[in-house]
Amino acid sequence: MSGLDGAGKIEWAKTWMPVLGAVREQLVEEGAVRGRRVAVILPIEPKTAYLAAMLAEAGAEVAVAFQGSMVHDDVAAALAARGVEVFARRGSTPEEELRSFAEVLSRRPEVVIDDRADVIRLAHTTHREALADLIGASEETTSGVLALRAMEADGTLEVPCIAANDARCKYLFDNRYGSGQSTVAAVMDATNLLVAGKRFVVVGYGWVGKGIARRARGLGAEVIVCEVDPFAALEAHHDGFAVMTAEAACSVADIVMTATGTRASLPPAAIERLRDGALLANAGAVDDEFSVAALRDRALEAHRVREHVEEFVLDPDRSVFVVGDGVVVNLSAGEGHPVEIMDLTFSVQALAARHLLRHGAELEPRVHLLPHEIDEGIAFRKLEALGLAIDALSEEQLRFRSSWEPFA
Amino acid sequence: MSRAPERSRIADPSLADAGEQRIAWVARNSPVLDLLARRRLADGALRGKRVAVVVHLEAKTAYLATLLAETGAEVVCAGSNPATTQDAVCAALVRRGVEVHAVRGASPDEFEADLLAVADTAPEIVIDDGAELTIRILEHRPELVARLRGVSEETTTGVARLRALEAAGRLTFPAIAANDAWSKHLYDNRYGTGQSTLQAIMRLTNLAVAGRRFCVIGYGWVGKGLARYAEGLGGSVTVVEVDPVPALEAHLDGHRVAPLYEALPDADVVVTATGSVDALPAHALPQLKDGCLLANAGHDDREIDTGALGPGDGVRPGVTRHHLTDGRRVYLLAGGRLVNIAGGDGHPIEIMDLSFSVQALAAHLIACGGLAPGVQRLPAELDREIARTKLATLGIELGL
Repeated sequence: MSGLDGAGKIEWAKTWMPVLGAVREQLVEEGAVRGRRVAVILPIEPKTAYLAAMLAEAGAEVAVAFQGSMVHDDVAAALAARGVEVFARRGSTPEEELRSFAEVLSRRPEVVIDDRADVIRLAHTTHREALADLIGASEETTSGVLALRAMEADGTLEVPCIAANDARCKYLFDNRYGSGQSTVAAVMDATNLLVAGKRFVVVGYGWVGKGIARRARGLGAEVIVCEVDPFAALEAHHDGFAVMTAEAACSVADIVMTATGTRASLPPAAIERLRDGALLANAGAVDDEFSVAALRDRALEAHRVREHVEEFVLDPDRSVFVVGDGVVVNLSAGEGHPVEIMDLTFSVQALAARHLLRHGAELEPRVHLLPHEIDEGIAFRKLEALGLAIDALSEEQLRFRSSWEPFA
Repeated sequence: MSRAPERSRIADPSLADAGEQRIAWVARNSPVLDLLARRRLADGALRGKRVAVVVHLEAKTAYLATLLAETGAEVVCAGSNPATTQDAVCAALVRRGVEVHAVRGASPDEFEADLLAVADTAPEIVIDDGAELTIRILEHRPELVARLRGVSEETTTGVARLRALEAAGRLTFPAIAANDAWSKHLYDNRYGTGQSTLQAIMRLTNLAVAGRRFCVIGYGWVGKGLARYAEGLGGSVTVVEVDPVPALEAHLDGHRVAPLYEALPDADVVVTATGSVDALPAHALPQLKDGCLLANAGHDDREIDTGALGPGDGVRPGVTRHHLTDGRRVYLLAGGRLVNIAGGDGHPIEIMDLSFSVQALAAHLIACGGLAPGVQRLPAELDREIARTKLATLGIELGL
């Protein structure tokens, strides 16, 4: 496929990523990544492409790979033309994907920018030879960080990992506003249907779920939240949303969107309650938040009704429609998060990679947060790019905040 | 059945399968057309009547045209704007036996010829958009006016044009202002254009709405929808108006209201929705800030003075970059054409189910005859019946 469109899309992304542009200048100037080997395991779309390209332009040897359902071929082609090694194509098989990850690991990366901890897990299991050169990794998603913490807990994690997802400049914006806007937009684009007046069920009220609920309400939907965590459920209630069990919610739902970061978020009994015409989409990083394979087994027949919409006939008079193949819908049926949001996320990632390359040897093999001052520095740069000024704490306020004595 | 499909002028008949899939999805989500319009038109009033449908030629319009053809009308279609025609849908329509004259991206001359080809079929009933066909029949085919039993008009712009014709004493036939039906403008212009315009801006740019300052020019039904959804997606809104009544509405809806020259300098996105021309005129362009996005949500391509922007470079599909004199750059979406259809799939299907039910009942009313010449509304009882049917399909009951 032609890289021309892809090149244009990467340039467009660059236009709206001023903070990452400043990080690029910094990396070029100080040479922090020059000659270093970096693997980027992220959906291949224009923003990630710019991250990979700018690391390469700052002198790093960059290899990228990802699961085929989230690869935009025009962007992949343009990225290859910019000197990045690309191991990915739309529609690749799981076997091909494993091979591409192995290829990336065979380049002996010093830092892996990972997604869902897929490649870090491979390096700790079937491709342990890669650990010899691996200084550390930085993880993009909530679900990936969960896996890394599990590895840390059972003592199998052998390299320091930065939970890029847990940086405030990441989850507060990317997970909430980024996923919120782009997943709802992807469903609208894929279906050409209205949101106003729809009963919109959000399964999971983490940062992603909060963003979806807010945007769906902003577009006129009646939002219902399903949770397993009592705190999150209470938050949803106080945000003014209905809270129900998945089964009860599905029995009235027009649209169901999962955002739990875990598999099997919609039990079969809930699927059975869905009404004719209900739409199902997944906004989470895990591909089987609800099981398309189980739906396919259960269905009398299945067929594609629009480019990104598949109909599953459950009963002769009842069909449900899966948008984006059950894979994270903003990438499978859209271009991913809005560019400006990824400006923040990828500044976190680029600076996390820089931090690992400079200080990785001093870090314990645990899950680390991005140092606070780096996180805060990104927020300040973004505010500056937006032309927004804020106040600073006064001497008196600083004194108050650092003292404990009761005040007279 | 319909007029000679073999006389059609379309881009590529081989695209019919893709168009067929799109029309089938519309059919599935258009319960009011199916339950109400199809039932009412089954009386045969449209049988053998020549009906011209000149509305943005995408899947929803195609479904309306098909429904009219299936109830016996001889249907011929053209697009109301060459930038919004979907060639695959045209191909499917022709395969369904409807005569179509429309090609995406047609030149002004070709577009003119397509509309005149439709005029030359001597339609008895016209379902029009922007009064594009009605005006051409009056101007270029005056001998066919006597054959016209009536027109039904889709847009605010078109209704204004028809009223101007009426005032000039040239409207010798009934013209139903479909746009003015409650079941149309309360939903289509507001929720339909509101959602789909924001959606197109997001899709064309992949940019965030949250934190963006929108300048909405025109606070009619369309402007109200735009402002509401921009805010719902996290943007902030400044409204520009010339009419004090909607300006006051905008103020009480919580939006900043300002004159154009004050609103533009800090706008990140400017959306025009006046239904007129020159909503963003050449002399205001120097007020735009660097990096501003420009989009039009109104019927006429001339809401934004794109000529004054000068030539642009394509930076993404549907996005061109234009340089203002002092080095500032602005980004024009969909060439200044109706952004939700030129840069997307148009209004949500459920909304057009309502709008086109109005159109189908209007066509039926015209076919039944007995209407006085002049601009008129769809009778309130029919209008209410559309809303009642929609509520019934939603399982919503009224009263105690």
